[in-house]
Amino acid sequence: MSAPTPPHRLNWRVPVRYLRPYRRQVLLLAAILAATIAVQLAAPLVASRFIDQATGGGPMETLVALAALTVALALLGQGIAVAETWVAERISWGATNALREDLAAHLLRLDAAFHHAHTPGELIERVDGDVGTLARFFSRFAVYVVGNAVLMVGVLGLLYAIDWRVGLGLTLFVATALATMLRLRVVATPFSAAERQAAADAYGFLGEYLAGLEDIRASGAGAFVLRRWAELTRRWLAAKIGAQMRGYSMVASSQGLFGLGMAFALALSAVLYRDGSLTIGAVFLVFRYAEMLRQPTEQIRNEVQDLQQAGASFGRIEGLLARQPHLTDGPGDRLPPGPLAVDLDGVWFGYQPGTPVLRGVTLHLPPHRVLGIVGRTGSGKTTLTRLLPRFYDPDAGVVCLGGVDLRTVSLAAVRSRLGLVTQEAQLFNASVRHNLTLFDDEVPDDRLVDVLESVGMGEWLRALPLGLDTTLGAGGGLSAGQTQVLACARLLLRDPDVVILDEPSSRLDPVTERLVHGALGRLLAGRTGIVVAHRLSTFAFADDILVLERGEVIEHGPRLDLAATPGSHYAAMLRLAAGDAAEVAR
Amino acid sequence: MTPQPTLRSLLQMARFTGGWSLAHALLWGVMNLSTLLPGLIVRSFFDALTGAAALPGGTSGIVVLLVALALGQAALWLVAGYVEIVFRFLASALLRRNLLGRLLARPGALALPYSIGETIGRFRDDVDVAEDTLDWTDEIVGQGVVALVAFAILLATDAGITLAVFGPLVVVAAVAQRCSAALGRYRAASSQAASDVSGALGDLLTAVETVRAAGAEERAVAHLRRLNERRRTLTVKDRLATRMLEAVTANLTGIGTGLIMLLAAGRLRDGGLTVGDFVLFVSYLGFVTDFVSELGQYLAQFRQATVAFGRLHGLIGDAPASALAAPAPLHLKGLLPAAAPAPKPRPEPLRDVAVSGLTYRHPATGRGIVGVDLSLERGTLTVVTGRVGAGKTTLLRTLLGLLPGESGEIRWNGALVADPAAFFAPPRAAYTAQAPRLFSDTLRQNLLLGLPDDPAVLASAIRGAMLDRDVAALADGLETAVGSRGVKLSGGQVQRAAAARMLARGADLMVIDDVSSALDLETERDLWRRLRDRSGATYLAVSHRPVALAQADQIVVLKDGRVEACGTLALLLATSAEMRALWHEADDDGALG
Repeated sequence: MSAPTPPHRLNWRVPVRYLRPYRRQVLLLAAILAATIAVQLAAPLVASRFIDQATGGGPMETLVALAALTVALALLGQGIAVAETWVAERISWGATNALREDLAAHLLRLDAAFHHAHTPGELIERVDGDVGTLARFFSRFAVYVVGNAVLMVGVLGLLYAIDWRVGLGLTLFVATALATMLRLRVVATPFSAAERQAAADAYGFLGEYLAGLEDIRASGAGAFVLRRWAELTRRWLAAKIGAQMRGYSMVASSQGLFGLGMAFALALSAVLYRDGSLTIGAVFLVFRYAEMLRQPTEQIRNEVQDLQQAGASFGRIEGLLARQPHLTDGPGDRLPPGPLAVDLDGVWFGYQPGTPVLRGVTLHLPPHRVLGIVGRTGSGKTTLTRLLPRFYDPDAGVVCLGGVDLRTVSLAAVRSRLGLVTQEAQLFNASVRHNLTLFDDEVPDDRLVDVLESVGMGEWLRALPLGLDTTLGAGGGLSAGQTQVLACARLLLRDPDVVILDEPSSRLDPVTERLVHGALGRLLAGRTGIVVAHRLSTFAFADDILVLERGEVIEHGPRLDLAATPGSHYAAMLRLAAGDAAEVAR
Repeated sequence: MTPQPTLRSLLQMARFTGGWSLAHALLWGVMNLSTLLPGLIVRSFFDALTGAAALPGGTSGIVVLLVALALGQAALWLVAGYVEIVFRFLASALLRRNLLGRLLARPGALALPYSIGETIGRFRDDVDVAEDTLDWTDEIVGQGVVALVAFAILLATDAGITLAVFGPLVVVAAVAQRCSAALGRYRAASSQAASDVSGALGDLLTAVETVRAAGAEERAVAHLRRLNERRRTLTVKDRLATRMLEAVTANLTGIGTGLIMLLAAGRLRDGGLTVGDFVLFVSYLGFVTDFVSELGQYLAQFRQATVAFGRLHGLIGDAPASALAAPAPLHLKGLLPAAAPAPKPRPEPLRDVAVSGLTYRHPATGRGIVGVDLSLERGTLTVVTGRVGAGKTTLLRTLLGLLPGESGEIRWNGALVADPAAFFAPPRAAYTAQAPRLFSDTLRQNLLLGLPDDPAVLASAIRGAMLDRDVAALADGLETAVGSRGVKLSGGQVQRAAAARMLARGADLMVIDDVSSALDLETERDLWRRLRDRSGATYLAVSHRPVALAQADQIVVLKDGRVEACGTLALLLATSAEMRALWHEADDDGALG
C-alpha cells in the first residue's frame, strides 16, 4: 500500500489525537521524569564533592554522609523508574489499542474495492504491526526522547555553571551530533519504509498461501511456493540492509563524535586545572557530565531508529485513515417501515471502467414478493446483489429500497433492513454464540437454540462440549455445508425486511438443502426476497423470475407464467433440467 | 513431540550461518573489549594531571589516544553492523523457510492448528524473538569476558575494595535471579493474548463482507476491544515485572558507587589510592553491574525464546525436534530454485486404484469416514454422493493424503501406497477442492502454479474446464490479475479456474469435489461432457446433481461415514433407499416450475 505522501516528516496528528484522553497521566509521567532527571544530575555532584573533600583532607563524617547519599539516590532513582514504566505502558497501550480499534472500524467502512486490492495479511501488518511500532513509540518517546532531551539540557546547563568554555564546547559537540543524526534520519526514512513494505509483502504472501494449503498440496505446487518465498526473502534482505546500514551509520557517527567530545572536554579541563580555574573534583564532574551527555544522545539516537519506523508507520496509518470510502452516508436516516419494494432503474455498473458487468438493468420488485435471478455464470447475478446492501454504487442509474434512492440514506439504515447470505460463509475464531449473533450478547440463548433447531443443527449443537460457548473457527471441524447452514441461521436471527440469498445452498446436498429451505421459506414469507441460484429447485419460493445474460435483463415476469410460456428462456431451462433427470431415469 | 532445548536450536541456527556467526562473535567481542580502553586512558589522564604518575606523552598524548580510539570504534561499528544484519537475517530466514516448508508438507486439508492471523503472528513475532536471542547469545559471552577483564584490572588496583564491593553485589544479583523466575509465565500469557488479537483481526478482515452486510461493524470492533484490553492488562504486567527486575540489578551501580566511596575515603585521603584509581573503579563498576543486569535480561530473553520455540514448534506439531533450525537452502544468491519439482520418469500409468478399510475421524467431532472400500478403473467416472456430513469430502481428502488416514490401505495398480500424501500428487493425481483458492497473481500464474508455460497444455486445460469463453471475455485475458483469493472472478469462474489448474497437471487420476456448486446446469453439463471427452482420464468426483450422476460409471452412496451402497445409478435406484431419497430431492430440480 502506498501512502499518499512519502512519510519523510513526522506527522503529529495521530499521536496527539490518541494521547489527548490521557492528559493527566501524561502530566504525571512528566513529573516522574523530572524527578528521575534531578536524581541523575545530583549523583555526580555528590561524587565531585566527595573527591574534593577526600583529596583535601575533609572530615570522615562528611565523606561517609556523601557515600550514604549516593546509595539513597540510587534507590530512589530505581523506584521512580518502575513507576515510570507503569504509567508509560498504560498510556501507550491505552492509546494504541484505541488506534487499533479505530483502524479496524475504518477498514470495515472502506469500500469492497479496497478490500479486493489488499490481502488480509497485509492489512493485519498495518493494524497490528505498524500500530505495534507506534506502541513502542508512545511508551518510549516520553521516557527516552523527552526525558533525555531535558537531561541533556540540564547537564549542559551545569557544565556552563562549572566553566562557560567547557559548556560552550560540549554544546557544540552535542549540536553537531544531533544535527548529523537528524540529517541521517531524513535520508533513512524512505529506506525504513521500504523495509516495512518488504516485510508486509512477505507476510501478505504467507497469509494468502497458507489459506490455500490444500490447493497447493493437491496441485503439487509446493516447490512453486518455496521459489516465490525465496524471491521475497531476497528482496527483504536487500531492503533490510538498505535500511539498517543507515541506522548503523548513525551509531558510528555518534560514537566518533562523542569520543572526540570527550577528548576535547579532558584537554580543556587539563588546561583549566593547571591555571587553577578548576579543582580536581570539578575535572571529575566535567568528565562524568561529558559521559552523561553521551548516554541520552545515544538513547535518543536509538529511539530515532524507532522514530524512523514510527515515522513510516505514521505515514502508512495516516494514508489508511485518509482513505475515504467512496460510498458515504446519505442525509436520510431511515427507510419506510415494513416490507420494502426493490427498484433498479437503468443501472450500469462495472468493477473497472470500460468493462460493464451490468448494462442498463431495470427491475421492479414489489414488497412481499420474491424474485429469482437466473443466468449463466458471469452474467452479473452476484454483482447485482452487491448493489442492494450498497457495497457499490451504480455507474449510472438508481437503486432504490422502498422507493428511496440508497444514496440518500445512511449505510446503516440500508444494511439494518437487509440480510445477505453469500456463496462462501465466513466463520470467526470465536464461540458458536458470537458466530451466530456476530458478537451481539443481547440475543437470548433460547432464541439461538430455536434457530439452530429450525435449520436442523440442534443435534450438532447438543453434541458440542461447551454448547453455545464452544469455540469455532480454524480446525472447528465444520463442513462447507454446515458452515453455510450456520450462515443461514445468522440471517434467521436478524429478521431483516429484505432477504438476499446468493446461492445459499450451492454447497448443500438436496436433503440438507430442503431442511434449510424450510427455514428460509418461513423467513421469506411476508418479506421481500431476491434469490440467486443455479438450481432451479431453489426457486420454489420465487414469485417472479428474472433472466440475466451478459449483464442485461432478457426476461422478467411471474414464474408460473414464464414456465407456461413455451418460448421463454426460463421454460427452456426447465426443460433442460427435466430432460437431464428423464435421460437418467430411462 | 517435545521441543528440543533452546540452546541446541540456537546453536543449530548459528552453525547454519557459518562464517557470519564467527565474524559476528569476533567483531562484537572486539567492540566490547574496546570499551574498556577509555577507563584505562582516563585513569592515566587523572594520574598525569594530579602528578600521581608521569607519562611520556603527558596529557596531550592521552588526548590523541582518545581521538584515535573514537575514530577506530566508529569504523568498527559500520563493519560489525553489516555483519550483524546479514547474520541475523540468515538465522531468522532459516526458521521461516523451515516453517513454511513444514506447513507445505503437512496434510493439506488438515486445518492449521491456529488461525491464519495467529500463524502469521508466530511467523513474525516468535521468529523475531529467536533472532534477537541468538544475536544476544554471543554478545552476552563477549560482555562476560569484558566484565571479567574489568574485574581483574580492579583486583590488581585494589584487591580489598574490589572484593568488599563485589561480594554484596553478587548476592543481590542472585536474589534478583530468583525473582525473575516468575517472568516466563507473564510472557507466555501476554504473547498468547497478542496472538488472539492478531487472530481476531485476521478473521475480521477476511469476513469484511459478512460483517458489513450484517451491520455488525461496531460489535465486531467491540469484540476486538475486549481482546485488546486483555492484551493490555497482561502486557503491562509483563513489562512491569521485567522492569522491576531491571531496577534491582541496575540499583547495583549506585549502591556500588556508594560502597566504593565509603571504602576509598580513607585511602584517598592518605594517598594510597589515586583519583585516577577512584575514577577507574566508578567506570568499571558499571561494566560488572551492567553485565549482571544484562545477564538477568538475557536470561529473561532466553526464557522468552523457549516460549517462542515452543510456539513455533506448535505450528509444525509432529515434525522432529530439530526440524525448525535444520539447514535448508535459502537461495539468497545465484539462481532461484526451480518452481516445479524435478521431472521424474513418468510413473506407471494408472490401471486401477483399490481402497479398503479407509478410516479417518475428525479429532474435534469424531465424525469422518469408517472402513470405506472403493475401486476405481482407468477411464471411468466414479461419483460419490450423500448428505451433508456423510463424509464425502473427507473420503476424497483421506484418499489423497490431504488428511492423515487412521487405517485402511490404498493400492495403485495392485501396489500398496505407503505415503498417500507424497504419492497422490501430480502427475499421478490432481484435485479440485470444494472451495478452491486462487492467489493474488495473474490468471496464468494461478493455472500454472510453477508448471512450465506450455500454451498447448494450458489451452487444452482451459477448454476442458469450460473457461475458454471467460478468458476471452476478460480484458487482459490470461494476464488478468485475479485479486486477493481470486475475488475479481465470479464464484463459478474461480471453480472452473481451479478445474483448469487441475487439468493442466496432466494427471492420471483427477479428483473433483463438487465442482458444480457455483455452476448453472447448462455450464455444468457441458463441463462434464468435456471432461469425459479427455481420453483415458479417470475421475473421482463428489456431486449430487443428476448431470453428474447420470454420467457416472459407478456411484458410491455414503451415509454417516460408511458406504451405504455402490453401483450404477439404475441399480442403486432399484436397491438403495438412501439413493432414492437423494435422487428424489435432486429430481425436484427439474420437476419444479
